[in-house]
Amino acid sequence: MSRAETLGIVGAGSFGSALAAVVARTGRRVVLWSRDPQVVSAIESTRRSPRLPEAELPASVIATTDPRRLASEARTIVLAVASTDARTRAREIGQVVDGAHILIHAVGALSEDQRVTEILAEATPALRLGALAGPAIPADLASGQFSSMVIASRFDEVITEARRLLNAPPALRVYTSHDVIGVELAAAFSGALAIAVGLADALSVGPGPRAVLVTRGLAEASRLGCAAGGETRSFHGLAGLGNLMVRAAENHREYAFGKSLLGGRKPERDWPEGARAAVAAVRLAAKLGVRTPVLSGLAAVITGAITPKEAARLAADTVATEE
Amino acid sequence: MSADRPVAESEGRLERFNEDRDRILAEVERRVVGRLLAQAARGGDHSLEYVLNDVCYSEIRRLEASGGRKQKELDRWRDLAGRLLQMSEEEKRDELIALVRHYGRDVVGNFDPRVYRFATGVLPAGLGFLMSPVRGLRSGLDALRNMDERISVEGELDIAHACAERGTLVVTPTHSSNMDSVVIGFALMLAHLPPVTYGAGKNLFTNPFISFFMRNLGAYRVDRRLRFELYKDVLKEYSTVLLEHGYHSLFFPGGTRCRSNVVENHLKLGLLGTTVTAYKNNVRAGSPQRRIYIVPATINYRLVLEAETLIADYLAETGKNRFIITDDEFSRVGRLLEFARKILAHSGACVIRFGRPLDVFGNDVTDHGDSIDRTGRLVDPASYVRGADGAVTDDDQRDAEYTKLLGQKLVRVYPRETVFHATHLLARAMFDRACQAAGTRDVYRLLRAPGSLLVAPAQEIVIAVDELRRRIANDPAYGRLHAQVAAESSAAIVDDAASALATYHTRPVVTRHGDQLAVGDVKLLYYYQNRTMHIPPVRVEMRA
Repeated sequence: MSRAETLGIVGAGSFGSALAAVVARTGRRVVLWSRDPQVVSAIESTRRSPRLPEAELPASVIATTDPRRLASEARTIVLAVASTDARTRAREIGQVVDGAHILIHAVGALSEDQRVTEILAEATPALRLGALAGPAIPADLASGQFSSMVIASRFDEVITEARRLLNAPPALRVYTSHDVIGVELAAAFSGALAIAVGLADALSVGPGPRAVLVTRGLAEASRLGCAAGGETRSFHGLAGLGNLMVRAAENHREYAFGKSLLGGRKPERDWPEGARAAVAAVRLAAKLGVRTPVLSGLAAVITGAITPKEAARLAADTVATEE
Repeated sequence: MSADRPVAESEGRLERFNEDRDRILAEVERRVVGRLLAQAARGGDHSLEYVLNDVCYSEIRRLEASGGRKQKELDRWRDLAGRLLQMSEEEKRDELIALVRHYGRDVVGNFDPRVYRFATGVLPAGLGFLMSPVRGLRSGLDALRNMDERISVEGELDIAHACAERGTLVVTPTHSSNMDSVVIGFALMLAHLPPVTYGAGKNLFTNPFISFFMRNLGAYRVDRRLRFELYKDVLKEYSTVLLEHGYHSLFFPGGTRCRSNVVENHLKLGLLGTTVTAYKNNVRAGSPQRRIYIVPATINYRLVLEAETLIADYLAETGKNRFIITDDEFSRVGRLLEFARKILAHSGACVIRFGRPLDVFGNDVTDHGDSIDRTGRLVDPASYVRGADGAVTDDDQRDAEYTKLLGQKLVRVYPRETVFHATHLLARAMFDRACQAAGTRDVYRLLRAPGSLLVAPAQEIVIAVDELRRRIANDPAYGRLHAQVAAESSAAIVDDAASALATYHTRPVVTRHGDQLAVGDVKLLYYYQNRTMHIPPVRVEMRA
């Protein structure tokens, strides 16, 4: 199968493996790169990824530990790794890709306060970049349930290629956007807001205050995103509201982390991506002069500056202005 | 490579221009007509009737606005507009070809090696002549003696030389004055860089002496009154073909002169985009090694000839880029002499700084002109225009995004390459002081501020200048100090700048009364301080 019909995926974690399964089921070839030889070996021998054993990987999914093979056999590559690994992996693929490659990330978080497309631009020669975000859960993708994501890029070519290779309805519908900044920040801040919702539920707030928290939290995330160059609608779309609804659920790490905050501050090594996003959001807000009471209160609780109850009281004291 | 080595081969390219001219024009015509006919075949808004009607409508409006002085020309356009509906496709096609040819000939430049040798051989006298009417020749020559002491060049000249030998240069300077194209031409010569072809506003051709030299030194005419797509197509294609043929070029990415005097941060990308197209065409033609290099440059004047008109236009918000000033200081011959006598009266009055060249995708290049990514790895620039199978692909939206990335890179580079004169430092210190006293940085409020808020003890301004120099010296992203400014004491800088700002413009910008410095013209003070606008203000402790 030609290079144009092959999708490269960096990371054989649960999302990368699920995406590989969905795309391969449409008849396309997938080169799945993992640094872990045991994962590659397991995929080749069992046709299942150890990180997502429920998904069967068709024979057209080629697992490899060789990044050169990834770059030579696929022009469009999706980076599906944890935010903490994004920079390292970007540097590694930067060694093997050239200006003709299309690089898309599905990280859904910030990495050291930076958007991942910024990291890709710094660490690789590729200019044709995109961000894939939205409420697609690996288990849903693996089982073929209805999922949707949004691909955002400045380049129509990236959007077209991403849709051509990734769109696999009904398992995965890919919507489009040119608002890269908005989509990346919306995805990242939705993780922070999911923690806030978890914390609110731990405080046993009713459905009314919970709804206020979600709407005002999204409003200020959207304000901040716009100040950073994004568009409001991305925060109310799949990357923002869509992600928040998925992450603010009982079995999600960020929601659970939010609930656990009632028991006190957690060490930084245990922070989920949303917690780092909350702290990064406050720094960004200070730089851009944007008022973010919800995110600031949340970051203060996460860092142990105030207690959850103090945060709730501060939120209650917030002066209402024009919505 | 030694900086004083002339780039002989690349310098000689423009000498071939006249032999190439007809071939270039024919190529422009072939491409523009071919593209428009192909688009017309798809119908809709691209039909030939729409294209021709757009030209007629724009030309009729332009000529009507000129007061009907060109009645014959006006009648011709009205006649064509009236006939459009009855014309056959064949007739429309012929009309299109005739119009493309007409505008191509209107745009095309000329390069006369004899004029170039004359101008460069007798400089500074040549430049003196260029800027002087016959009557004022002698005084012009006197004023411009030792021109190379008054205009200086600095920056990454060795790399620019390497790039000129390897490929085609596109010099992209900041734009403050109508003198820029003349000054940068001189600067290229001082830097032993090859002459460039460039698009100059048609209004600059009104002075017959300047027009003569511009016409014969590679300038092509850009008529900014012609805003229809056909003309823009011809202009862009002309630039593209020139670059493909290896003619070094110059664009002012800011478009028109910067009204506010801030270091440009909003660029017009139209002509800049032709660099990507030209390189893509080179790659498609099998010559990916025929590189095109963008050379950022800043032109840094101690005083700006047209400052009064430009800042008034900016503050009135009638200008920015919507309005072409046709009657400014540049159009008055007397003021040109003043430029020579007053603005260039001091050594180092104008510094042209060349930044490190970039490729057309905004990547940095090595000392030998190879593209590198942000980690310093070599990257093949041709890969940016290739698709999955390695073939060159056409994608206007992709290329437009590349051009935006290049523009963003230039915007980041310009402040770093800005050179501050004493006038900028004093203006900034005085402006900060006035803002502090008035409690606002809003220039419109400062314009109405009482005179008592616009006065400061000279010693406090010296301290503020000292602090500003320290901040600039500590952060290369802010720019750099003029060598003379860096060597002088802050008190000497304040004295020098106060003297210059007090005497050049029709109203003194700053005046000295004993131990006090007073703002004489808030608009001009704002204009000069704007050059430091990218340096954020800090609270400076001063006595009340």
